[in-house]
Amino acid sequence: MGNIMSTSFAPECTEAKKKYDDCFNSWYTDKFLAGKSMQNECTELWYDYKACVDAALVKRGMVKMVDEARKDAPFETGGIPQDNSDATNEK
Amino acid sequence: MVLCHKSTNQYDYSFPIVSYSWLNRYPNPYAKHVISVDTLDSSVDEHGKLHITKLIRKSGSIPSWAKPFLSITDSWIVEKAVIDPATQTMETYTRNLDHTGVIRIEEFNNYFFDDKDEKTYVKSSVKFTSAFRQYYGFSIKDKIENWSHSKFTENIKKSRQGLLLVMQNFQTRRLKNNV
Repeated sequence: MGNIMSTSFAPECTEAKKKYDDCFNSWYTDKFLAGKSMQNECTELWYDYKACVDAALVKRGMVKMVDEARKDAPFETGGIPQDNSDATNEK
Repeated sequence: MVLCHKSTNQYDYSFPIVSYSWLNRYPNPYAKHVISVDTLDSSVDEHGKLHITKLIRKSGSIPSWAKPFLSITDSWIVEKAVIDPATQTMETYTRNLDHTGVIRIEEFNNYFFDDKDEKTYVKSSVKFTSAFRQYYGFSIKDKIENWSHSKFTENIKKSRQGLLLVMQNFQTRRLKNNV
């Protein structure tokens, strides 16, 4: 298995996605984690890919659903689900 | 109805390998139900933490007893991750976007590297929230309870196997390229 990548939900965006993912992965491992760069250097590829995804979300009527999810702030509780359960199973 | 399941796991890999592999864990042979993965947002905050939001599409796998109530073919998942390279920690949150009126499944993972034993640990918890009880009585609640527990156990195992495979491949490639 080589460096296989997942596809985009919108087939027309898969090519732009793969280019961006390639760039992101190099930046992430070689620069970001090494503390050499704090800004994602794949800006141009990102804008291409994002424009494609945004248009595809509009076309499929998914903007509202996705925007709601973007507003989630799951880490405010420290990544721990609120303890309002009526059954908790420790594993 | 709310149910929570928790577990802890460890990987014999460094934080860079674990976090990279987590971000690139699809496709893998243990996650054939994953159809697509997209990045919706990606930014670095003023503390140097990377925030990523992804949109994932999965083909549906619902238990046979739920089929009379549901006609789910696939579902959309949103995933958020915050990665702090300074402390070598990664927090992730995953939840389903649609069918939330039937069941809402939220998964939290807390990854951290321990330099004493050079392992990366992950604390996972999954929360199932369902409105089923109001509509269909307690027998359905019991079924969801049992199903959620076995599903959780099965999923944890599969995602661990998938992630391990991606980590092994990544390390092999790194050694080959001598990076």
